[in-house]
Amino acid sequence: MEIVVCVRPVPEAETRLRVAPNGQTLDADGVKFVLAGYDESAVEQALLLKEAVAGSTVHVVACGPAPRTEEVLRASLALGCDRATWVEAPAEFAADSIRAAGAIAAVVRSPLPDLLLCGKQGGDDESGLFSGALGEHLGLPDLNYVTDLRWDAGTSRFRFQRATEAGAERWEAPAPLVVGLQQAWNDPRTAKLPNILKSRKATVAKVHADPSVPPGAGQPEKFELPAPRTGAKLIEYKTPEEAAQKLVRILREEAKVLP
Amino acid sequence: MPDFSLTPEQESLRDLARKFARTEMAPHAAECDRAARFPDEIYRKAYDLGLMNLNVPAEYGGSGLALFEQCLIVEELAYACGGMTTSVIANCLALEPIILGGSPEQKERFLKPFCAQYQFASFCLTEPSGGSDAGALRTLARREGDQYVLNGEKCFITNAPHASLYTVFATVDPSLRHRGITAFVVPRSTPGVTPGKDEEKMGHRASSTSTVRFEDVRVPVRDRLGADGEGFALAMRTLDQTRTPIGALATGIAQAALDHAAAYSLKRHSFGKPISEHQAIQIRLANMVQAVHAARLLTWHAAWAIDRGQRGTLESSIAKCFASDSALQVADEAIQTFGGYGYMKEYPVEKLLRDAKLTQIYEGANEIQRSVMARELLRAYA
Repeated sequence: MEIVVCVRPVPEAETRLRVAPNGQTLDADGVKFVLAGYDESAVEQALLLKEAVAGSTVHVVACGPAPRTEEVLRASLALGCDRATWVEAPAEFAADSIRAAGAIAAVVRSPLPDLLLCGKQGGDDESGLFSGALGEHLGLPDLNYVTDLRWDAGTSRFRFQRATEAGAERWEAPAPLVVGLQQAWNDPRTAKLPNILKSRKATVAKVHADPSVPPGAGQPEKFELPAPRTGAKLIEYKTPEEAAQKLVRILREEAKVLP
Repeated sequence: MPDFSLTPEQESLRDLARKFARTEMAPHAAECDRAARFPDEIYRKAYDLGLMNLNVPAEYGGSGLALFEQCLIVEELAYACGGMTTSVIANCLALEPIILGGSPEQKERFLKPFCAQYQFASFCLTEPSGGSDAGALRTLARREGDQYVLNGEKCFITNAPHASLYTVFATVDPSLRHRGITAFVVPRSTPGVTPGKDEEKMGHRASSTSTVRFEDVRVPVRDRLGADGEGFALAMRTLDQTRTPIGALATGIAQAALDHAAAYSLKRHSFGKPISEHQAIQIRLANMVQAVHAARLLTWHAAWAIDRGQRGTLESSIAKCFASDSALQVADEAIQTFGGYGYMKEYPVEKLLRDAKLTQIYEGANEIQRSVMARELLRAYA
């Protein structure tokens, strides 16, 4: 089975975010970028399928600028992906999920793999657009929020579930297919030290993103951090009755959430 | 121009160690300390990820890292638990004599099968009657045909109860002092090898330490490292390699103490404001950050010098001594910052003080490091 897994670099969760002077993007200076959390699951799922289906290969692809994009590709190689392709593009290009999907689609279109996997959403803007956009660009069926993805060799179909608000849907679909993954069977594995060393020496194929891929319809106008939270209010009291009276008064007169 | 930035490869290795330390080690550090538990399952995971035999060349199944990269990893591990780190890196110390002094045949025979599975080795130099004065060791290696017969006792041996392989320093003739010392590789399975009971320790309680007795232990000549009398120099060359990571280990403990103290100072209030706004606390934190920063840079510098092929005796002694003294100082100041809470076992900083203390003692007590420094220094003026 030929599997393509699409990943992207996102700021590490502990990063203190700053807005760039242009007010439209994140200030990347000094920010550490890592594999997005759901993409880690997608890589794990790709590797699990590779291990389950003999003769499979996993090709990891990412669109974005240096050095962060190359770094997450090497991290994916260290986890066990077989080869990597870096679709080089400026950060603004790659931040547009629909455009990035178009640029990646151009690279993986021929020959089409059996499965294209990505995380259900990024770890930064969480747009959740990528899998749908990739399916559209390639003219393939796409499904997001997928769990428990397996290959049934008997029927030559993928079997999986989709989490919905009402419960889990059970699906089956033939290859080729685009899947946005919610969760792999396992927690994502950790790369071993010798594989990290090997991944540093591995070849990462580099292509330039096709600039003629049109941007998505909507573009961010302004980027701002949430307002700092204001302090909690501590009610001082001697009896529970007094506490309740004070709380009701505050909710009614100050917060105005009670009539 | 010296460059203090890490390469992407170095960052990846540090990130691996950091992730392992914070997700696998840290959650169990307090419990293992309290119960003096040797967390086999954590050490096995460290082995599986390649974090254990860091200095063994890759051709023999180790990770084959230079000293600088070893130090990056050791500091991260020690940030989570000094004791676990001691047990994880003890193989590096035990195997270094084979790496430095073993023949290609011995490396093939000992290192390869050893590294191919999860197991421990122990470095057996110190004896009950003498630690720092290694030239005075009494364990005897009597030659009988193509064998040596070992008799004696070693003490304070890290991981000894769990080890399957020992590198042992013994003398072929005590009257020769240093020139009689000879090194051997002794599998635990050899008749007459008996590790003692686990010692009850002040710190590093997730690590295991015991005596090892050798009673009429027959070692074939082909398991001797180098020639008769070459053992002392081999032990010293080994410690020249492994001393610097102890600086990194101490730096990790010190960084943890600083982080705990700084975070606590922001949330603990006294006299109507966070204690971080009191100048007394600020000055203390400033002193702590200086010590941590200097310890790290001295460690990096020693590792860098040795990786460039220098012997690095002076540099590694400075790094080990300064970083371990700093770790004790910074851990002490962290406790003071926490006040009464810092003295309580419920808080994490008193463990750091107990763990830091050992770094001043093992792998060459700081008194010895200072003698080495003075000797190296004065040589330049003589």
